Amino acid sequence: MKQTKILFLIAVALFGLVLASCVPGGAQPAKGWSGITSNNGTLYMGSMDGKIMAVNSSARTQQLHFPADGEWEYAITTSSQGGLSCGPVSTSVAIYGTPAVDEALVFIGGYNGRVYALNASARSRNLDFPQMRDNEWFYPKTSEVIGAIVGSPVISEDAIYVTSSNGKVYCLDKHFGDKKWESDVLVKKLWSTPYVEGNNVYVSSFDGHLYALSAEDGSITWSFASESKIGFVSSPAVSKGVIFVGSFDRNLYAVKVESNETLWKFAGDNCFWATPLVSNNVVYAVCLDGEVYAIDAGNGTQLWSFDAGSPIVVSPILVDDSLVVVAESGNVYVINPKTGIGERIRNPGNDNKPTINALVQATLCVQEGIVYIRGQDNYLYALDIKQGEVKKFPLVTE
Amino acid sequence: MVDLWNLIILNPMLNGLIALSSVFDGSFGLAIIALTFIVRLILLPLTIRQLNSTKSLQGMQPKIQELQKKHGKNQQKLQQEMMKLYKEAGVNPLGCLWPMLVQFPVWIALYQSIMKALATTPESLLDLFRHLYSWEVVTRALPLDSHFLWLNLGVPDGTMILAIIVGGSMWVQQKMVTAPSADPRQKSMNSMMQLMMPFMFAFFTLMFPSGLALFWAVSNVIGIVIQYWITGWGYLKRGASTQVVTKAGGQSGIAKRP
Repeated sequence: MKQTKILFLIAVALFGLVLASCVPGGAQPAKGWSGITSNNGTLYMGSMDGKIMAVNSSARTQQLHFPADGEWEYAITTSSQGGLSCGPVSTSVAIYGTPAVDEALVFIGGYNGRVYALNASARSRNLDFPQMRDNEWFYPKTSEVIGAIVGSPVISEDAIYVTSSNGKVYCLDKHFGDKKWESDVLVKKLWSTPYVEGNNVYVSSFDGHLYALSAEDGSITWSFASESKIGFVSSPAVSKGVIFVGSFDRNLYAVKVESNETLWKFAGDNCFWATPLVSNNVVYAVCLDGEVYAIDAGNGTQLWSFDAGSPIVVSPILVDDSLVVVAESGNVYVINPKTGIGERIRNPGNDNKPTINALVQATLCVQEGIVYIRGQDNYLYALDIKQGEVKKFPLVTE
Repeated sequence: MVDLWNLIILNPMLNGLIALSSVFDGSFGLAIIALTFIVRLILLPLTIRQLNSTKSLQGMQPKIQELQKKHGKNQQKLQQEMMKLYKEAGVNPLGCLWPMLVQFPVWIALYQSIMKALATTPESLLDLFRHLYSWEVVTRALPLDSHFLWLNLGVPDGTMILAIIVGGSMWVQQKMVTAPSADPRQKSMNSMMQLMMPFMFAFFTLMFPSGLALFWAVSNVIGIVIQYWITGWGYLKRGASTQVVTKAGGQSGIAKRP
């Protein structure tokens, strides 16, 4: 009996330990999947360890010591309470958005609920942040934070637009970080990247709404509610007055702006997680079912589909006359956008492995014909799609 | 192995949980409560077996104590006699443990389901799509609302209320089945057990998302009801309990339900 009770206690303790640490598939910690932006020959991205990095591809190719000329990094950290007996500890902040760059300023939102404006010159000199005279700032300016930021910041004229997990859209002054306006709470959680066109800021919501907000004051100028009340999962793409957006119900919707009309919906075998790409009246939509679909933007007819073999979570990009698609598994495909015929770029080291042999969840970028991909292994990959060459650079510095 | 686990246990439970959420108008808290009822119902035969094993073992306590007095100095002989006693009574001393161990995978799947369904981080939401069925009743509920009563089901409850409910309900459940013993060593062991278990789970409640703790609280309450149905208030009623075990040769270790 005594043994049984001891065994029982051990089993209960093990149960707790198993739940706490060993069971795979519980809550996944926020690690981030920041994409890459190219500006004047420099690549800007968030790393897996919460740093904003400016990388010069030429310096990386020459394997110069980081940071070389024009390169810098800045770690975004937050102070959090440690364990039961520990004091506050500084932890890195997950970065999901793709940096927005305007001349010398780099804008990014952190999962800690802050928006940052970093000046390349000040960061190169590794000065304390923020350097006001260099127009550096963070928002909110107090110790308060807004909800976690998942979408990318968008620059339009003198304003920065960001969405927040508190369900609001914020418009901030680009130069000083002052709040121009904040919207009403649109939904409990807002993770999409806004699409700014003219005087309208478009956002999609998890509760099945599309909104157009006035860029002037954030008031709702138009809204659309999906008939099924099923939420929208992707960020919106807008072209010729039509919003294209993926839904939780596994459909891609085309909604006419400023009307409540669904032009068409296109069904996949799983969700359209990534924002679709619209070009020449064709919607290129990648799906978690592993397919790339080319859809007529006018009537929703499928033009072709391409099987990438595994889920795709990153929007495709057009490079010259090719559509470049990266599957989450790391396989990179170059597809003819007219015919849908494409091929995989081989892994130079081992043809049996995916092209870059790393999980890919971050937005791609093209610079001078080279496609840059940030893998979840914290490496930056450079792909020459014409030559089929793949190079990789670590994003972890000494 | 992971795929098999997902296919057979995790995915049905996860989709069921989300579908229930849809049925309850998006209330994930109510869905957890409903799923707890369903899981407890499915595991009822095992629970009854576990309770009966515990009951039988406790009924044998006087005889075991006699053996301990008689062969206390010869551990080998004591073990032999105890095994003989168990065999004669047709009781497996680990009989109350195995049903609980069998339930562990279900609890783990439930934990995973709650955590996955809540999808508190972007990574979790993306991962969730790998497990979802294409049922409209599932997609309609997404993403789930993690708020229920005063709780955010995705994070631990900072108010201590849930920890007290979990610990308290577990203490009641323990108290109902644990027979007081005349043997001081046994008595101290029982006391430790009665306090340790509720304390551990109350501590877990402060560490784990409150969605999981809600499941423990509801599960405990259902456990108390089942126990009451089988054995009555048992040893929770102090007067009714003491007499039975201290009486040498008593057959039943648990007071009958009035």
